[in-house]
Amino acid sequence: MSTDPDTDGGTRMSELDDDEIVITGMGVVTPIGASVADFWEANLRGRSGLRFEDRMDLSQLPCGWVAGIIPDDLKDAVRERSGTGPGGAERSWGDTLMHDALDQALADAAVTAPPARAAALVWARVWPGPSGSFPQDYAPHLRAQAERYQAAGTDPVANAEYLADRALPPELTDVSEFQAEVAAKLGAPVLGTRLEATCSGGLRAVAEAARLLRLGDADIAIVTASVSRSTPYVLSQYGQLMALSRWKGEDPAQASTPFDARRSGMVINESAGAVIVERASHARARGVERFHAAIGGWGLAVGTGHVTAPDVTEVERVIRTAIDRSGLTPDDIDTVNAHGTSTKLNDVTEAGALRRVFGDRLAEIDVCAVKSLTGHGSAASGVVETVAAALTLTHDIVPPVATTTEPDPKCGVKTSLTPVERPVRTVLKSSFGFGGQYASMVFTKAAPAASA
Amino acid sequence: MPRILITRTGLITAAGAGVDPVLAAMAAGRSYVPTAAEARQRRSPWPIVTLDPADTPWPAGKLWDNAKKYANTAAFGAVAAAVQAMAGADPVEGATAIASGVVMAVGCSGSDELNEAMGKIAVSAQTDPRPLPKLLYDEVPDFSYIRGIPSQIGQFVAIATGFRGSNVAVYGEGGAAGLGALAQASRLLRSGELDRVIVVGVAPPLSTTMLVAYDREDRLGTSAAPGAGPFDAGRGGTFPGQAAVALLLERDDAAPVFGADASPVELVACETRCTPARPEAISAAAGAALSRHGAVPDVWWAHGSGSVGLDAEECAVLGPLAAGAHVTASKGTVGNAFECGGLIDVALAAESLRRGRTPPVGLLVKPDPDLGDLEFVVGGPRAAASARTALVTSVSHGVKASTAGAAVLWGGAL
Repeated sequence: MSTDPDTDGGTRMSELDDDEIVITGMGVVTPIGASVADFWEANLRGRSGLRFEDRMDLSQLPCGWVAGIIPDDLKDAVRERSGTGPGGAERSWGDTLMHDALDQALADAAVTAPPARAAALVWARVWPGPSGSFPQDYAPHLRAQAERYQAAGTDPVANAEYLADRALPPELTDVSEFQAEVAAKLGAPVLGTRLEATCSGGLRAVAEAARLLRLGDADIAIVTASVSRSTPYVLSQYGQLMALSRWKGEDPAQASTPFDARRSGMVINESAGAVIVERASHARARGVERFHAAIGGWGLAVGTGHVTAPDVTEVERVIRTAIDRSGLTPDDIDTVNAHGTSTKLNDVTEAGALRRVFGDRLAEIDVCAVKSLTGHGSAASGVVETVAAALTLTHDIVPPVATTTEPDPKCGVKTSLTPVERPVRTVLKSSFGFGGQYASMVFTKAAPAASA
Repeated sequence: MPRILITRTGLITAAGAGVDPVLAAMAAGRSYVPTAAEARQRRSPWPIVTLDPADTPWPAGKLWDNAKKYANTAAFGAVAAAVQAMAGADPVEGATAIASGVVMAVGCSGSDELNEAMGKIAVSAQTDPRPLPKLLYDEVPDFSYIRGIPSQIGQFVAIATGFRGSNVAVYGEGGAAGLGALAQASRLLRSGELDRVIVVGVAPPLSTTMLVAYDREDRLGTSAAPGAGPFDAGRGGTFPGQAAVALLLERDDAAPVFGADASPVELVACETRCTPARPEAISAAAGAALSRHGAVPDVWWAHGSGSVGLDAEECAVLGPLAAGAHVTASKGTVGNAFECGGLIDVALAAESLRRGRTPPVGLLVKPDPDLGDLEFVVGGPRAAASARTALVTSVSHGVKASTAGAAVLWGGAL
């Protein structure tokens, strides 16, 4: 079994029509690896990046004691690679993650010369707010806020005077510095769109990039998303929603068990992903010979029934739309890269929609759920899991769901504890989010017309 | 390629509901930017144009009563603007609803409604024995986290309009004051993915921290008075303004079920660009938008923030493209709605094209001679009966925010 996408990955560009939209570059920074190769190897080996969140005292919260945390040595490597930190650029951790994932993807796609015209940039950064990105940032933030409140109360003028000569955290302002940095990096203007950062935002960003290319508004598009928000505030708020895992066992890896009968909630993580997307003709013209995956169709929807709870009808709608707009039928889908959050309601709803679409065949379709190992990176998940979907196509291997040892019969989806080697021509990928957000997309190995 | 028509608008500013009060105020030379004395009286660190909460009513009914706990100030504004835009329209159902979507222009730096609560919690945290996560779990008001999620606001708009195609939010601060959202909506329509999109932008009250941050990026104005407005020799910075705006865009080849407007204006193009240097971004965005149209603008609704540097850059770059065009701007009248100022100007520009009159720039008395030989509209409206093409430009706030947007509107025969 090969795990190195650099040596044997990708499908030959010559097999594609000019108008196909293809992924030519990928990058990730996740709790299970800060390179595509390491990330894929961890997926295949079922190596978890979850650990007990011991950087703050969560013992009195009703849930959420485990998190997907990028190990310190990888953090240091990312900072060094991206030129962030002492002596380098002053950036928030979220921006640092995006820059590193983006640099990986640009290198993978061999983007070395400036694009001839504006490049599309669709990005999503889960904003941690002025409290910083890390748990250790929060106590000083709150202390500063207390001092300010005691000195100035809520009077705006007094607060403005108080802040006048004080430093403001880099996370506070949210204007377009990241976009400008990417433009400088590329040596070309960017057609930038910063999308919201809900849990479907990453996959939606991939769809937006593909649409920009299909309309001819750009020749090449960059999609990147990052999240880093493990702070007492964010954990307390997810705790209020009772959305987080209640796993209390010895092994933190078991905290995220998508489609398992024991699942009890999601595990939040810090992560980033990036993909380079372009028309096959453009990639071919600049000498690119291989691509990771072609983008078929997608489905997007807004549900109006509930703020946080998923709706099986909407999930079904976006899945059917994605398949239909790919020129495929449900029978053409070989495997599913699920949203799979490990929450009670999401997983059974997603499974219910898959059953509606695939019928009895669902029992035969291999389903993977990357969040079992990485945890949930909100908008970043959609991009990170797109990378996993592309690698599934590249290697003809469906990653295992290593933590799902007791599959929930109410879900009834087929997961495996070991990698499944099989021909994979198509992958269905879904992401859903708060605010009634639904997105599904089909990735293919070759032109949809050829596989239909 | 289908034409994209602006068929309905909703606008809520300090001038009131709709585009009419704003155009009337501009025509009359009335500005809603408070003077320095008024700002001091309101305990506002800078002159800020504010909205009366009564101008953003929340819909009645059990569903809305239940949803209210998830709504912040931005949601109130968004829903009110959307409801205003769709007033009198029949409810949508079935395939029409699925072909109709929502695009939001929002800011992640919106109102800090937790300011008071968090201040008190922060003080108590210094002595409270509970671990911080537990303290916050107990004391932060329920649903605070959800209330700040942009897609949540979009979902409310979807509920109000019945649009179920899709819902996405584009951050407006880094997206050329809402023109990024408009461009996004345009792509959804041009691609045939949707038949109609309601684009809704909100500029809610800014926290003091954000105001300080914005002031550091590019000075905010401190004294509002005639002669302190955009393009004036005496300008000294932009004046923040709260607002909410909604634009309904429809493809002309789809049944214009909401085409309440007898004379819709076409959105010919909307482009945004970001480059390391702001003037290049302005040039690239305007060049890309105008190249889709192929005609010179008759009217230029400039960003016109009132910033000393940005006004100069905007005029230097776009002046040659707008030679002979009437030049106007709204920010001296209703303030700078950072997240959605571009959308507001599109709504105003569309209506002024229909009326054939270009309103003057609020608080502009003596155009800065260093801005070049431009046709600034000063003092009163200018007749523009033959005007057909309007260029609307917007630029993200701050010297590091080098993103610009440009929209081209066509008000002639379709």
